[in-house]
Amino acid sequence: MELLTLRGVTKSFGSLDAVKELDLSVGEGCIYGLLGPNGAGKTTTIRMILDILAPDQGEITILGQANSSSVRDRVGYLPEERGLYRKMKVEPLLWFLAELKGIKKKTAKERTDYWLERFDLSDWRQKKVEELSRGMQQKLQFIATLLHSPKLIILDEPFTGLDPVNTNLVKEVMLEEKRKGASVILSTHLMEQAEKLCDQICLINEGEKVLDGSLKEIKANYGKNTVVIEYEGKANFLDDKKIVENYDDYGRYVEIHPSAGANPQMILKRAAQEVTILKFELVEPSLNEIFIQTVKKEGKWGR
Amino acid sequence: MGKIRTVVKREYLTRVRTKGFIISTLAMPIVIGILTVAPALLMTLKSEKPKKIFIIDQTDRIFSGLKAALKDTTKGGISLYKLSKVETSPEELPEVRKELTEKVDEGEIDGYLVIPKDIFERNQAQFYARNVSNFRVNENLEGAVSKAVSLFRLSNSGLDPERVRKLVKGVNLRTFKVTGRGKEEEDTGATFMITYILVFFLYISLIIYGIMVMRGVIEEKSSRMVEVIVSAVKPFHLMAGKVLGVGGVGLTQFLIWSLMVGGLSLYGRSLVSSLAGEIGPLSLPGIPISLLFFFILYFLLGYFLYATLYAGVGAMVSSDEDAQHLQMPLVALLIIPFMLMFYVIGNPNSGLAVLFSLIPFFAPIIMFTRIVVQTPPLWQILLSLVLLGSSIGAMVWVVSKIYRVGILMYGKRPSLPELVKWFRYG
Repeated sequence: MELLTLRGVTKSFGSLDAVKELDLSVGEGCIYGLLGPNGAGKTTTIRMILDILAPDQGEITILGQANSSSVRDRVGYLPEERGLYRKMKVEPLLWFLAELKGIKKKTAKERTDYWLERFDLSDWRQKKVEELSRGMQQKLQFIATLLHSPKLIILDEPFTGLDPVNTNLVKEVMLEEKRKGASVILSTHLMEQAEKLCDQICLINEGEKVLDGSLKEIKANYGKNTVVIEYEGKANFLDDKKIVENYDDYGRYVEIHPSAGANPQMILKRAAQEVTILKFELVEPSLNEIFIQTVKKEGKWGR
Repeated sequence: MGKIRTVVKREYLTRVRTKGFIISTLAMPIVIGILTVAPALLMTLKSEKPKKIFIIDQTDRIFSGLKAALKDTTKGGISLYKLSKVETSPEELPEVRKELTEKVDEGEIDGYLVIPKDIFERNQAQFYARNVSNFRVNENLEGAVSKAVSLFRLSNSGLDPERVRKLVKGVNLRTFKVTGRGKEEEDTGATFMITYILVFFLYISLIIYGIMVMRGVIEEKSSRMVEVIVSAVKPFHLMAGKVLGVGGVGLTQFLIWSLMVGGLSLYGRSLVSSLAGEIGPLSLPGIPISLLFFFILYFLLGYFLYATLYAGVGAMVSSDEDAQHLQMPLVALLIIPFMLMFYVIGNPNSGLAVLFSLIPFFAPIIMFTRIVVQTPPLWQILLSLVLLGSSIGAMVWVVSKIYRVGILMYGKRPSLPELVKWFRYG
């Protein structure tokens, strides 16, 4: 069953088209990356799924039903802009949020106990939110997202501001929920994270979908045509348009997409003349590179 | 609907359980009690020390009469004024005055009074003191000099002052309020006091609870909590829940206060009169049930109107500072009728009073004032209720659209064209 489908969803704010004719579909038990640069329309799309904004056109179906308040009770949402009532105590706050999602008080209490334990916050249940550290507040908000056992979990930039330990914890829980059959929509502009976690992706730019599908297939389509070089020295050859279409240079590490008509051998030869090569490899392009290429092809990058 | 209940419950409980609520609820009646009883108590505490006043009587005929007329005493029966006559001739007057002025300056005496020779023709005396703002002293002196002067004039014209006093004795006007059902009740200014207190209360409550709603909205925005909530609840339900919850807090406070006042008027009379002592029977004006009903009714309607507007203001801004500016028009809307109250108490059925009592923004205060002073025709009350009710509906409609967009907007506050845009998106 499709947990979420969007068909021809469009939203504009005055003359600005935030989302244009967007189609997407999210199946069961997967992590779905909703990817794009800042301002691409990710948050607007999510807000329409949650009926915080009404689409101008198009249709949104959740768990096979028309978008309604009761079906949205099965959706969990972690907004990018995070925060909680600062003056409320941890437990009553979680109970309140669970109750808003239609969970009975008794169940809410049990689940609160479970999650607080899981996230190592049990000692803080009687404290006010403002007494918690920033990291703890982030965990608390993540708990609030999961408390009603949602079938569809929407996480908007979930990793911003998390330390490595909590990042791991969040990842772990995401995979756990996926195994239980829930799906996670991961909205982010950080391609490295998405690349490791997502089964499926949808790239959007300027409100339009530019690419979607299974990450494995997308990568396979691009083939092993990306050159990775670890090097020492000054890599002037990177700017030779005859052999290098584009590149992503980190100073000692560079990912190169060869020009049409050039091949990896030619790049290796030129590179060997200019720098000391520590490692040379042919790989699938990174998601970041796919994204940059796709968007560049369209001739528009960011705003 | 279940979700509105959840929101209402949270809004209500988080506020009622705060220390601030408990303290203000308990302290308010005490503060009001002190404010109403204190002036009366203070008035009985006459100045501890007698005032030393020197009299320069150039007529040489007033001093004894003046001394007799100035009989004001303190609680303990000590004379409030200690008068001493200063003998002087007209030639020495400037010199003596200079001396006395020095004495006043040094605090040796409180002041001196100059009764000029021509006081019988020009009706003027001069009082010199460091503090001439004590109205009580001024009034007493003026009254005493006047009395002494007229006594002298009367006996000079061969009339018996005592006889004259009897002949020109004034008449007291007792006032009775005629209420519906042909009843008459003696009223010694209580109506004015009750009106003033109740209307003031209404005015303050509308502002306090309106601002409470506004701050709630701003808190949700600035803590970024709002997006989580509107992903579970319709923005309109969130707004409605907040307005209802805070309204419940207001009603709870009124209920507690009514019980306290009720208890006080049942058991507290003896306590108050023993405290008040010599003031005499301090009557706690009873408030008729019908007035309480109208108070609650107009509070609720006024509250719904203003709380909705305040919620709109909260949605438009991102910080309390921005809100300060934007809520000015609302405060103005509340101050206008409050200022008009005195006029309306005097002229409850004038065209202006009727007009203002029908305008929804002013109706809660003005119509309630009219009801307290003199029950207006039923059709006017009903019309004001209908107009008020429909404006609440209209405001809720407009504000909920702005609210829906505004709560997700951060940054600078919107211009008017932007607001119109928000309204269209909403």
